[in-house]
Amino acid sequence: MAYGLRFIRSAWPVASALALLLLLWQFGAAALDIPTYILPRPAEIFVTAIAKWPLLGDALTVTLIEAVGGFLLGAAIGIVLAVLMILVPPLEALLMPIAVVINAVPSIAFVPLVLLWFGLGMESKIAIGALAVVLVVLLNLLAGLKRPEADAINLMRSFGAGRIGILWRLQLPAAMPGLVTGLRVGLARSTIAVIVAEMMGAYSGIGQVIYQATGQVDYLTVWAAVFVASLGSLALYGVLVAIDRKLVWWR
Amino acid sequence: MPDETTAVATPPHLQLVNVWKRFGEAPKQTVAVRNVDLSIEPGAFVTLIGPSGCGKSTLFSMISGLLPPDSDGSLLLNGKVQQDGALLGKIAFMPQRDLLFPWRTVLDNATLALEVEGMPRRRARAKAEALFPEFGLGGFEQHYPHQLSGGMRQRVALMRTFLFERDLILLDEPFGALDALTRSMMQRWLLDIWAKHRRTVLFITHDIDEAIFLGDKVVVMTARPGTIKCEEAITLPRPRDLGVVTTPEFMAVKKKLLAVVEEESLKTFAAASP
Repeated sequence: MAYGLRFIRSAWPVASALALLLLLWQFGAAALDIPTYILPRPAEIFVTAIAKWPLLGDALTVTLIEAVGGFLLGAAIGIVLAVLMILVPPLEALLMPIAVVINAVPSIAFVPLVLLWFGLGMESKIAIGALAVVLVVLLNLLAGLKRPEADAINLMRSFGAGRIGILWRLQLPAAMPGLVTGLRVGLARSTIAVIVAEMMGAYSGIGQVIYQATGQVDYLTVWAAVFVASLGSLALYGVLVAIDRKLVWWR
Repeated sequence: MPDETTAVATPPHLQLVNVWKRFGEAPKQTVAVRNVDLSIEPGAFVTLIGPSGCGKSTLFSMISGLLPPDSDGSLLLNGKVQQDGALLGKIAFMPQRDLLFPWRTVLDNATLALEVEGMPRRRARAKAEALFPEFGLGGFEQHYPHQLSGGMRQRVALMRTFLFERDLILLDEPFGALDALTRSMMQRWLLDIWAKHRRTVLFITHDIDEAIFLGDKVVVMTARPGTIKCEEAITLPRPRDLGVVTTPEFMAVKKKLLAVVEEESLKTFAAASP
C-alpha cells in the first residue's frame, strides 16, 4: 500500500512531463502545418501501435528478454571480474588493458562478428548486450571497491579482519552506489546494443520491425515501434530504480 | 611510581623498548619515531601529548600492529615480544575520525568488531544494546550515523572500541573535533566509563588540560623525529570533577608541562620556516 503510494508519487512528474510533450507535439505539429509523413501525430502513432500490437508485442517481448538477458550476463561477469581484481591485484594489471582496448571500440562494431558466431537468434543479441554492459559495471564497481580510505581498512585490520572480511563488511557496501551507477548505464547500453543488433540481422525484435518497416516506407510503424521500445525501457528503468533502493538503502 | 618488586611480578601491560620508525632509504630517509621507551602498567590511564607531526600517530599505528616497527626495537604485550602484525586483533584501537559506516545503523556500527570476530549477529546486538544507556545513546539504536551529532558519533565509535573487548585501548585524539563544551562533558564521561570497566588506556591528545585531567601519567613527545621527552605522574585524586582544573596542583603541573611542550612546538616551527 505504502509502496504503491510512493510509486505514484515518484511516477507522476514523469507521466505529466510525457503527457505535456505529447500534447505539444500533437497540437504544435498541426499548428505549424508539418506534413504527417514527415512527423506523424502522436494520436496516429497510438492507433497504429494498437493495430499492430500482435507484431509489436511479440517483438517487444523478444527485445526485452534479450536486453535483460544480456544485462544480467554482462553485469554478472563485470561483478565477478571486479571482485577478482580486488582480491588478486595482479589480475587488474593483466586484464585492464585488454578491457580498455575492447571498450575503445563501440560494442555495435562487434555485431557482424557476433552474428557470425552465434547466429541470427537471441543468443547473438544477448552476447552483444552483455559485451555492452561488462566494462561499465566492472569499472564502476572497481572504483567503488577502492573507495574506502586507508584509515577505514586499517580499522578493520585492527579488529583482526582478513581480506574477505574487509571485502564483505567494508568494500562491497561502500561500492554499492558505484555499482548502481554501473547497472543504470549498463541497462541502457544493453537495450541500445540489442536493438541495433536486431536491425543488422534477426528473426524478430523491435530493431527488426523498425528495419523492415523502413524498407516498406511504413514510417508510422517505425514510430509505433520506437514508442513501444521507449515504454519497454521505461518499465525496465523502473525496476532498476527499485533495485537501487534495495542496494543503497541508507541514503 | 610502581616499585621494583611488583614490576617483576606483573610485567607492564605494554612495553616499548627502543622503538624506531624510519621511512625511505639512507640519503632521503625521514625518521618519524626514534628510540621510544615507554611502559604502561595494567589498568593505567596514560596520556600522550606532543607537537603536531611529532610521530604520535605513527607510534599508534605500530602499537596497534598496523605498521611494523624497525627491527632494532621491540614491542611487548604482557611481557611477550610481539612480532610483525601479531598485535592485529589484540588491541582496541580508535582512530582520530569516527569512521562509522554510513550503511550501518548505530547498533550495527557498534557491533562491527564483534561481527569480525565471528560472534553471531543476534548475540552481538544483545551485547551492544545493554551498553546504549551508559553511552548516552539509548533510543538511537536504529538511527544512521548521519542523523547524529559529532559528540554522539564519537560515543558510537567509542562504544565500538569498548565492545571489542581488549584490555588495552588506544584512543587517538578522540575528542579533537568536538567543541569545548561537548569535549569537557565527554572527558568526564570517559573517566566514568573507564572507572567502571578498568581497561588500560593510552590516549593521544594535543590539549595539555585534557592530558592532565584524564591521565595517571602524561607522556610528552619531542618534535619530529619523535621520542619521549619526559613523563609526569599525575597524582590528582580520583574521581576528578570539573573543579580540579583550577586547583594549585593542577596549575603547577600544567605550568611545567606547558614549558616543555612550548619548547618542542617552537622547534617544529623553526624547522618548518626557512
